[in-house]
Amino acid sequence: MVPLVAFQLLSAALFAIGIYGVMARRSAVLIVMSIELMLNAVNINLIAAASHLDGSGRWANFDGQIIAIFIITVAAAEVGLAMAIILRMYRNRSTVNVDEINLMKW
Amino acid sequence: MNSFDQSALLLTILVPLAGAVLSMFLPRNRPNDAWYFAIFVSAITLIISVVLFVGYDFAAGGYQFIRIYEWLDEPLNIDLHLAMDGIAATLVLLNGIVLFGAVLISQTIKHRTRDFFVLLLALGSGVFGVFVVQDLFFLFFFYELAVLPMYLLIGVWGSSTIFEADRQRLWGIPLPFDLGSYNRPKEYGAMKLMLVLVGGSVLIWVGILALYVASDQAGSPTFSMVALGELAKNGAFSPTFQNWVFPLFMIGFGVLAGLWPFHTWSPDGHVAAPTGVSMLHAGVLMKLGAFGIIRVGMVLLPEGAEAWMPVLIVLGTVNVVYGAISAMSQRDLKYIIGYSSVSHMGYVIMGIATLHPVGLTGAVLQMFSHGIMTALMFAMVGAIYERTHVRDITILNGLMKRMGFASFFFAIAGLASLGLPGLSGFVAEFMVFTGAFKTYLPLAVLAVIGAALTAIYILRLLARTFFGEADPRWEGLTDASPVEKTVGAAFVLILLFVGIWPAPFTRVINVGVDSVMSLF
Amino acid sequence: MVWAWLIPVISFAVVPLIILFGKRLPGKGSPLAILAILAGFAIFWVVFAGFLSAGPETEGCDIGVGTKVLTCNFQITWFEAGIPGADTSGFDRIEIAWGITIDPLTVSMLGLATFVALMVQIYSLGYMHGDPRMDWYYAFHALFIASMLTLVLADNFLLLYVAWELVGLCSYLLIGFWHERPEPREAAKKAFIVTRIGDVGLLVGILLLWSHVGSFSMSETFAAVAGGELSDGVVTASALLLFLGAMGKSAQFPFHVWLPDAMEGPTPVSALIHAATMVAAGVYLVARAFPIFSASDTAMLVVATVGLITALGAATIALVATDLKRILAYSTISHLGLMMLSLGAAGYTAAIFHLLAHGFAKALLFLGAGSVMHSTEELDVRKMGGLRKVMPVTAILFSIGALSLGGIPILAGFWSKDEILIAVNNHLNPVFIVLTLLTAFLSALYMARAMFIVFYGRFAEQFEHVHDAPPTMSITMGLLAVFAVLFGLVALNWPGAFDGIGYFIIYEKGHGLEFVIWLAAVSTVLAIGAFIYGYLAYARKSVNLEGARRKFAWPLKVAEGKYYVDELYQWTIDRVVMSLSRFVAWVDRALVNDVGINGPGDVTRGLGEKLKYHVTGYVYSYVLVMALGLVGLAIFWWLVSR
Repeated sequence: MVPLVAFQLLSAALFAIGIYGVMARRSAVLIVMSIELMLNAVNINLIAAASHLDGSGRWANFDGQIIAIFIITVAAAEVGLAMAIILRMYRNRSTVNVDEINLMKW
Repeated sequence: MNSFDQSALLLTILVPLAGAVLSMFLPRNRPNDAWYFAIFVSAITLIISVVLFVGYDFAAGGYQFIRIYEWLDEPLNIDLHLAMDGIAATLVLLNGIVLFGAVLISQTIKHRTRDFFVLLLALGSGVFGVFVVQDLFFLFFFYELAVLPMYLLIGVWGSSTIFEADRQRLWGIPLPFDLGSYNRPKEYGAMKLMLVLVGGSVLIWVGILALYVASDQAGSPTFSMVALGELAKNGAFSPTFQNWVFPLFMIGFGVLAGLWPFHTWSPDGHVAAPTGVSMLHAGVLMKLGAFGIIRVGMVLLPEGAEAWMPVLIVLGTVNVVYGAISAMSQRDLKYIIGYSSVSHMGYVIMGIATLHPVGLTGAVLQMFSHGIMTALMFAMVGAIYERTHVRDITILNGLMKRMGFASFFFAIAGLASLGLPGLSGFVAEFMVFTGAFKTYLPLAVLAVIGAALTAIYILRLLARTFFGEADPRWEGLTDASPVEKTVGAAFVLILLFVGIWPAPFTRVINVGVDSVMSLF
Repeated sequence: MVWAWLIPVISFAVVPLIILFGKRLPGKGSPLAILAILAGFAIFWVVFAGFLSAGPETEGCDIGVGTKVLTCNFQITWFEAGIPGADTSGFDRIEIAWGITIDPLTVSMLGLATFVALMVQIYSLGYMHGDPRMDWYYAFHALFIASMLTLVLADNFLLLYVAWELVGLCSYLLIGFWHERPEPREAAKKAFIVTRIGDVGLLVGILLLWSHVGSFSMSETFAAVAGGELSDGVVTASALLLFLGAMGKSAQFPFHVWLPDAMEGPTPVSALIHAATMVAAGVYLVARAFPIFSASDTAMLVVATVGLITALGAATIALVATDLKRILAYSTISHLGLMMLSLGAAGYTAAIFHLLAHGFAKALLFLGAGSVMHSTEELDVRKMGGLRKVMPVTAILFSIGALSLGGIPILAGFWSKDEILIAVNNHLNPVFIVLTLLTAFLSALYMARAMFIVFYGRFAEQFEHVHDAPPTMSITMGLLAVFAVLFGLVALNWPGAFDGIGYFIIYEKGHGLEFVIWLAAVSTVLAIGAFIYGYLAYARKSVNLEGARRKFAWPLKVAEGKYYVDELYQWTIDRVVMSLSRFVAWVDRALVNDVGINGPGDVTRGLGEKLKYHVTGYVYSYVLVMALGLVGLAIFWWLVSR
């Protein structure tokens, strides 16, 4: 039986990588991918926590799975939307480098 | 009760609202159609409001035309509870009349006419709603519906004031306390009006929630004003609670009533607003504030009201005198009327704060009288400005020769405003004085002096603007249009009617005042 | 008698008719107004006859409490306010009536007002002939006289106040009738505002009485005062406050400034308003509220003193004024002062008697002055002279008025002035009688001056072509002259039913008018002496005034400057009131608005300006903050849960 903390460590590592990606990458596409990574980190965490709820490894509670499925759905929609925005961005400004697109400031 | 009686109050709200919605589907490029349609809609509301006023049985008294539409159950308990008492009946009539007049006068709106009337009718609907609902949630809802369109109406259709004047000099030295030139863009007026009024709304909303929570603690959570009134009567609200909640309503609603020192939105807002909107705003909207103090503040929190009334009456007196003195040195016609509104709303506030039956009756009658009178003034100033493009009374002169009708109507309204017997203002102000005399004598004397000060600025205005030799500058001016004449004549007749025979109004107001005063 | 309400109502009714249809009616609606007041005059006689035959047993009539004279009241409810059905004495409800009261005072005033108004309106046909706004003129006239009649008929203080204000409005409209010129415009404004200041006192006084009596009804108020229900302080205060209103309307010092300026109005208006009716309203008010005044010695003394100051001061100004109408205006002020003085000296009958006698004579004088002005278009007496050559009728009639007012025996003014002297002599300090006699002498002297300078002496050549008054004007003047001559005779106890006016207009206990030989002799000598001196000085020019002028240069200047009261007012308004107003307007703009209301807005906006720079537009900077926040939150949580 793999202990819960292993899943959590994996999840935290994935999440940290995701954050790093969002912060460090310039390409909007890669930022979206990093966000996907963070979402999936959360998914792992949720499912692991749900399956370990009663300490015996049985599926005791479906809340985690349900939320994970929600997240997958939302993430899919989000990717679609994000890709559409990025496409429009590229059409308009011929770049997906977010450093060059800082219109939303003061 | 026939079916009309059952649905009449709902109709007052729905007819203008439906008119507003339907107006959206009118063709954009035909401004006259929008105007005709708005006239049609407001004529229906006028008829309904007249029927309601006449149909109100003053011998029976109390709330009539009651209709309850259930909306949300436990634990919120929000119902659309419609009912009208003597005070509301008078104000419903006022709104019907002024809305109709404002729509008629707005013939001159040629820019985005359709949108203008959509907003104007929505505003009218909100005002009706506040007067006839008996539920705090809906009261707030309609209150906001009445206030919010103002921002667009002023911001889009308003006019900016750029006033250029040399500083007055004394022995060659410019006077330190002189306005000199000033610049008031319409956006500023709209923004200030909106922010100040919404600031007041916040206080009101906090007060409403406090009442709801208090009713929850008393065991029966509700927004219904009838139920809350019962709770208040049974002593469910402690004096401490009342003492801190009442000022929320007093200031929150007071802001809309032009209570000093939160009044400055009113002159600037009125000046910036287009004519029809000024009429509605000074004529009816400011009354919502005073009405709110009576209906929510006094009825639901009688002990708090009693504790705070000395403060309110002092502020009201300040309003009267301060407004009148400020108006004296203004040069812009609309600013004079704007400050005069501040001054006259002072009488309403005073009348309320006397907690005296006669004073309260006077306050309500003053709301009606001031509504008609100030709407008439704004209508005629609008007519003058439309033609001369000047509002500076040091430049305008001899208009009596060129615009006889407009000048005549304005003069009558001015006389009503300085409290001339035979016109409505006198009867109302006199009752306010009477009530104040029995309760706060020194302030009553100050208010009487304030009424005399009114004479100074009104006569100064009349002498400068209307009398005098015909000036060649105003050679080509046309007199008031048929529409303006109609509105002017009708409003003058109302002023005369109320001044000469106020009994039909006082007997209706009296029963409303009776039920309010029974709490004290 | 109950039909007395019709007298004002008919005139009220024609006002809208004239305004709406005047342009299309013959004579621009003037016949309507004249017929209305004629009807009023006719009804007056019916009412008069009815009143004479009435007694305490007549329906609606009773002996008035406090006044002790027969008083008839008729009323219907006007409106109510407050708790429906509550007892009015509990102050929770007020009930206002359209009510009329008829007592000797009312009857006298009705007679004077309807008669003078009728004369003046007929006179105006000639005077205002061809004026483009004749319809408005007659509409205002009808409204004015209707309000005046309502004023004298009112049986409650509120209705009186209503009429009082309406009278003020009409005066405003009529003074400013020729508003194209700046002077009438300013004069009208001044009249309205000055009287309005007095009206504040009146309204406060009325409300003060209400707040102790619980009713606006005069009879109930008088009963309460007579019954001692009110404390002395309240009675005195309310009497003084009412007197403030009376001072404004009757142009008593220091509120007299509006009346001379009011001469800018058409002359018939001056005759009607500023001689016979409106200015008499103040005297009427004090007489009407006499039960309140007489209950307070302080109030009576104040009334007498103000009256005397006014009478004497105005008389001296009239003596040096150069504008014919202004001479008459100051003379009016002076005589109103005498009436007030008489009231203050408890000479109730004398005051009313003088009010009537003065009303006829002064209306005549004004109409005469109007006739002069109409044909010469000149009002400066220094430019006139010997006008009797070209306008003999006017000269004779004007002289009758002047002699009557000057107090020449047998003419009306003599009798009434004599009664005032007796009252003052009986009830007041000896200083008062001396000064009153001085005033009487001065008033004869300035009347002599006006009359002799204008109509006698050397003929001023430039008026060669001048014509006399047209018939509408001369006939009305003639009728008024008859009264100015003969009216004094009603003071006498004639054989038959009529016991003299002293038994008609009475207060408390009936008394006839007295006749004190020595006072009559002194006043006669003074009056005749004044006229002789006037003849010598102003017509014959055999008395040279230059020496006296040089000797008294300084007091003369002060009197010619009208004691600088106008300047004081002007200064107060320009410098004090308007400065205050500008200051308040500035406070409103700069402090209340720009600091109080804009302040929070500006602070918010300023903060936003400073804080907005953290919005860089770079995604990673936001994410960094989010991540740091997350870490911080985690540490916080960890610390808390430990």
